[in-house]
Amino acid sequence: MWLRRLSTDRVERHSSKPVETFVVVASVQSAQRIVALTDGAARLGLKAGMGLADARAMYPKLPVVEADPEADRQLLEGIADWCDCYTPLIGLDPPDGLLLDVTGCAHLFGGETALARDLVRRLAQQGLRARAAVADTVGCAWGLARYGKQGIVPAGESKAAMLSLPIAGLRVDAGIVADLKTSGLTCVADLMSRPRAPFAARFGRELLFRLDQALGHIDEPISPRQPLPAAMAEQRFADPIAREADVLGTIEKLASQLVTVLDRRGEGGRLFQVALFRADGAVHRLELGTGSPLRDPPRIRKLFEERLAVLGDACDPGFGYDTVRLSALATERTDPMQTGLGGDDHAEELAHLIDRLGARFGLRRVTRIVPQDTHIPEYAVAAVPAHAVRTATTPLPFIEQDTLAPAQPLRLFERPQPIDVTAEVPDGPPVQFQWRRTKYRVIHAEGPERVAMEWWRDDRGSELTRDYFRVESFQGARMWLYREGLYGREVARPHWYLHGLFA
Amino acid sequence: MGSTAPTLNRLRQSLAGIDPSLKPALPGCGREVGLDPAIDAALGGGLSCGALHEVAPSGPGYLGAASGFALALASIASGQRREVLWIGTDYAGTEGGRPYGPGLDLFGVASAKLVVLRVPKPVDALWAMEEALRCRALSCVIAELTGEGTVADLTATRRLSLAAREGASARTSGFGLLIRHNATAVPSAAATRWSIAPALSRPDAYGGLGRVRFDLSLRKNRRGPVGRWIIEWDHHEHVFLPALPVGVAQAVVDRSGRAPLVQTG
Repeated sequence: MWLRRLSTDRVERHSSKPVETFVVVASVQSAQRIVALTDGAARLGLKAGMGLADARAMYPKLPVVEADPEADRQLLEGIADWCDCYTPLIGLDPPDGLLLDVTGCAHLFGGETALARDLVRRLAQQGLRARAAVADTVGCAWGLARYGKQGIVPAGESKAAMLSLPIAGLRVDAGIVADLKTSGLTCVADLMSRPRAPFAARFGRELLFRLDQALGHIDEPISPRQPLPAAMAEQRFADPIAREADVLGTIEKLASQLVTVLDRRGEGGRLFQVALFRADGAVHRLELGTGSPLRDPPRIRKLFEERLAVLGDACDPGFGYDTVRLSALATERTDPMQTGLGGDDHAEELAHLIDRLGARFGLRRVTRIVPQDTHIPEYAVAAVPAHAVRTATTPLPFIEQDTLAPAQPLRLFERPQPIDVTAEVPDGPPVQFQWRRTKYRVIHAEGPERVAMEWWRDDRGSELTRDYFRVESFQGARMWLYREGLYGREVARPHWYLHGLFA
Repeated sequence: MGSTAPTLNRLRQSLAGIDPSLKPALPGCGREVGLDPAIDAALGGGLSCGALHEVAPSGPGYLGAASGFALALASIASGQRREVLWIGTDYAGTEGGRPYGPGLDLFGVASAKLVVLRVPKPVDALWAMEEALRCRALSCVIAELTGEGTVADLTATRRLSLAAREGASARTSGFGLLIRHNATAVPSAAATRWSIAPALSRPDAYGGLGRVRFDLSLRKNRRGPVGRWIIEWDHHEHVFLPALPVGVAQAVVDRSGRAPLVQTG
């Protein structure tokens, strides 16, 4: 599909009053040249590639707009998103083309002709002028959309359709096209009626490579923009739907279709995506990961309900959605399980709760505590997303109890809190300290428990040894303090920190 | 006077018809988390599962004690085997520290059975708690709010209480604990409200720190009288033990003849 006036259509879509004739210019080799122009401007005899000075000489009052390749690119991406409602396999063909693989999709729209017509018509409604061609090969469709007759080339007839195309329709350099023209070769038929070897010798392999691609001798895959789903289901509506309940109901219905497909393969979904195609062309995509393969439509619905609740206005239905698609992007084998029959399935219920909380707050916020192989307190445990911890974690190494009180605190500060400490002797336990403007007098202290930093991980060698003390204040509050640096050996005046709270 | 009790009972029954959360707790219905015989008597058998309970430190610096009391209750409720959910806002984590795995294991809450949820805002914590209380896989849901936690007002706590009641069934609990970082006077629908201070411990035979002691003040009790108790937590056996208060005078050490105090750091 070729969007022949992409740049100017973009400008026109955003301008308040219609201007029929204008050009888009950009600096090409330090000269202002026309890169795009409207139909009106083309009728005046202007051409793309013409210098702005030449154009101004002909039409002094010609309106001019700066080119914005980035905006063009974004618009193209947006159109590609929207085209997703025709087929999931879409490739970008910058600067102004899109490649759609409609194999197996066309019958849903009443055939290829109807699909192409529908596509062009709906783009035109949005103010975008497009030409579409359907053919066996990418090259053939490309050439036909730009230089040939729009429409459908039946299977196996791409060669015949190519014959009348100009050489430019082969996606080759303008230089080659000009060279061939001077030799009197203007269309593809001229090329094909002559032996190949001299062309290869004269113009390199590109020309023949493109020709072979267009004729289907060489396979040319479309690289899709979106990952291809393992399975998908979709629902179209004659009248757009806007209510959240309707959208969720549709998702549940699609989920049950999807699950039927996945069940047959013995799989469950780990990553789901809902694409909501808004009537005005915008597309909202919501993705959802789960902790375990999911095959239960009401749960899928519930997860998306959480996601929608968080998104709020970011997912504005506007005039409503006319297509809803649910796809399973990643799947995993599951063994069929017997469900029901009254058993309390706590593990599954918990997994579902974790998924729900994850859908609402992000999977990284629901964590489990996993022990790490280090004795530095702040690294001794890691918070690992709960959905990633599949089996029960290994129990923490047993820490020997030498007193009646636990040796490790219940709460640990991510950043140790600096405190002011008074001690009897510089390397002794604290007698009094001040934290958050409150003074604590120490009645019992146990320590030091020395924690040397791991020199093999510390490349600068700046980490200081810590001496930890468990202290109890006169009120009974227990805290975990440490002195950073060995007095006299590592530092002159060690600093004190509060690192954790005991019960 | 003899006819007062039946009349009261009848009135309670009719109130329960209007609002199920006012249903009088009958002996033997629902599970209880037992603390200590004396306290359980005041609580009418123990802390009721299927209800919301509030815990707050009685002063600054006592957050550790309040968290410890809540975790001790979670330990009793979960029996080391069932899962516990800890919900905290990001700010609560920075302000008061995050739950620390090794410490939890030593204290009696299996860290492998703990799921920690960090939420951005206090209202999110309430939402998550309500969802989690309905989940029968969890033996205990703990949520903490910084400050007085004013977002947990009468309406919010009522919602949580109802969710806890729904989550409770014959075999599971729906046991909700709400930790407020500061004590508050905000009205609440919680079944009990506790104000926790640490109490001086009795050092062990070698002068080391003794068992953790809590000075519990029951400020509100829907099922009976309020009161104040001092108890010890035995983190090996996971039970509360009654304790006698230790006078401060006993614990003061004679420091005469020691070196003068030196400021370090």
